[in-house]
Amino acid sequence: MTLFHFGNCLSLAYFPYFIAYKCSGLSEYNAFWRCVQAGATYLFVQLCKVSEPFGPHKDVSNEFMKATVDLADLLGLHLVMSRNAGKGEYKIMVAAMGWATAELIMSRCIPLWVGARGIEFDWKYIQMSFDSNISLVHYIAMAAVVWMFTRYDLPKSFRLPVTILLGLCVYKGFLMELFVHVFLLGSWMALLVKAVLTGAISLCSLFLFVTLVHSN
Amino acid sequence: MFEEASEVLENMLKWSLPLSLVLFLVLVCPLRAEAAHEFSVYRMQQYDLQGQTYGSRNAILNTEARTMEAEVLSRRCVMMRLADFSYEKYQKALQQSAGAVVIILPQNMSTMPQDIVQQFMELETELLATETIVPVYFALEDEELLSIYTQTQISSSSQGSSSAAEVLLHTATANGFQMVTSGAQSKAVSDWAITSLEGRLTGAGGEDLPTIVLVAHYDSFGVAPWLSYGADSNGSGVAILLELARLFSRLYSYKRTHAGYNLLFFLSGGGKFNYQGTKRWLEDNLDHTDSSLLQDNVAFVLCLDTLGNSDNLHLHVSKPPKEGNPQHVLLKELETVAAHQHPDLKFSMVHKKINLADDTLAWEHERFGIRRLPAFTLSHLESHRSPARHSIMDMRPHVDLPKLSRNTKVIAETLARVIYNLTEKVMLHYLRFSTNVDQVQEDQLESLVDWLTAQPRAAQLVDKDSSIVNTLEYYLNRYLKDVKRHLVRADKRDPEFVFYDQLKQTMNAYRVKPAIFDLLLAFCIASYLGCTVNFYFFSNKKKIPLFEKQ
Repeated sequence: MTLFHFGNCLSLAYFPYFIAYKCSGLSEYNAFWRCVQAGATYLFVQLCKVSEPFGPHKDVSNEFMKATVDLADLLGLHLVMSRNAGKGEYKIMVAAMGWATAELIMSRCIPLWVGARGIEFDWKYIQMSFDSNISLVHYIAMAAVVWMFTRYDLPKSFRLPVTILLGLCVYKGFLMELFVHVFLLGSWMALLVKAVLTGAISLCSLFLFVTLVHSN
Repeated sequence: MFEEASEVLENMLKWSLPLSLVLFLVLVCPLRAEAAHEFSVYRMQQYDLQGQTYGSRNAILNTEARTMEAEVLSRRCVMMRLADFSYEKYQKALQQSAGAVVIILPQNMSTMPQDIVQQFMELETELLATETIVPVYFALEDEELLSIYTQTQISSSSQGSSSAAEVLLHTATANGFQMVTSGAQSKAVSDWAITSLEGRLTGAGGEDLPTIVLVAHYDSFGVAPWLSYGADSNGSGVAILLELARLFSRLYSYKRTHAGYNLLFFLSGGGKFNYQGTKRWLEDNLDHTDSSLLQDNVAFVLCLDTLGNSDNLHLHVSKPPKEGNPQHVLLKELETVAAHQHPDLKFSMVHKKINLADDTLAWEHERFGIRRLPAFTLSHLESHRSPARHSIMDMRPHVDLPKLSRNTKVIAETLARVIYNLTEKVMLHYLRFSTNVDQVQEDQLESLVDWLTAQPRAAQLVDKDSSIVNTLEYYLNRYLKDVKRHLVRADKRDPEFVFYDQLKQTMNAYRVKPAIFDLLLAFCIASYLGCTVNFYFFSNKKKIPLFEKQ
């Protein structure tokens, strides 16, 4: 029944993306190839990140440097959004969907195919699929924050929260590692903490976004 | 220009993306899962002797693990620990047509209580006597294997439990294990050569000297070949033989102690398989050559078998020696030496006629007896059926070094008395010589026994290029002359012995979940997805419009 298990994990990972795509109305705008372009930009950015060599030790400062390189993610998202004409929400959704789907395919499909199909059972595949759901929300929030950051009509009072959220988005991975290391969290607890963190970031960014849109 | 570039990119992507995906899938297709635990397993013996088949016939395994507490055992791999092992349980597993049996042995046998060890030793022969198609494996216990066993035990014993809720909870939390062996089905090894070694010390005084032959078989036997270390049987015999070779070669190098007897030393292989090495050696020497030491004047043949322990010493004969023969002299000298110099030793003669109707011969001297050569076997065991001769429990602690050393002294002195004609002067020289080497003797014996028990010496594992044979040959070459190898290969058309391979395999234990678990998981995922969709529609109704239709 292990192919069944693979099917379980894949549906858990992929269905929310499908739902998000369909229900957010993107399909009405024929945005499929634009999402694919966003995905290609993701690949390009990952390649650039990989070619940055760092020291071999796994200590705090090195991890911090690695996380700083994730700023390239923001640049990539910005590039995608600037190339797409349309309303703010449209841009955000296209960029986020494409980015997150590319990440899903590149970093999750292969381990699931190889691992979940095997005889050996491990909870980590279900966790990986959950993680991809969380990533989707995270990327939507990140794209929204980037879009807000680049608006020229952003009110002064919003500058600071938006910058903080931006920083949180980029260094989220680093913060997660820190939490796991310091509090010695189990895998399920780490997943829960990650979900909570992403939820908090996305709610804040949603709130800011709605306020911004409705104030114009 | 930007638009054109993006058009080109789009076209490229249209084709490359599906193609690369297919390529990825093709490349990663070979499935290589990591096992929960990987460990070596040693299979039970499988061999044919004189047409009779013995042992476990099968070698492949891919079944779920259970312990004896489970109700359904058919086509499952039954795991048992040595402490809980009993013949009834084993029979029960076989009757329920289990897929395989894995017996878990402790790393350190000395932690086991003696009665369990003794009981297992007695069961070994019974295990082998019943031919079975079920593969039986032995594994050495470590922490992970123990945890796998405990988990399997818990899930096996709770299989009979009642309520559906418990079963559901159980399927979600418990782990099952799938045991898979690597390797192919076992098949007969073709053209296996059993090696024996001989060497000699020529006596002083020309032609037609009487010959004394000293024999010990160097192979070991147990229920699993890779675990048969054969410390006492017959590591002790080999150690004594090598020590005697060293001692008498020193004595023969001095003119005063160079006796008028030829000494022929023979380390035979295949001893536990009805003395194949000895049988072929005798045929070659008596039937196929014109002159050999064995054809002329043989005083007697002394076989050494299991002498590493206990205060008993038995001389096994097939015909009680008559007065005036060299054999009788040996018997008398043994009694004298034992009685006067080692009063703690209880010596006796055991008379057993050769029974040709038996499947296998009892002691090694019977091979010589059949060819009309006078022979005895010296052993501390009273019966050839003693389980100590065929056990995997026979490891280094079974050899008591002071007793082995004492037995060596007894044999050396007896032989000296026989070959030196009991004259005072020579005996004094011998005694002076032997006391000087006493201490060295015990150290030598210890290192020999340690080396012999460091690796398994089953006949199926020692081929003509193995390090054991090479080392023994080197050792004999240091002290003896004319050291020769002697090979025995089974006859093609009517083989006396057939060995099978796949005796040591790697077993993987994979964690698996029952099929119900996947269905349960699918149900949970479906409900989770349903919730997400509902949440989305709910938020839509609450009018947080994401897109305004323009």
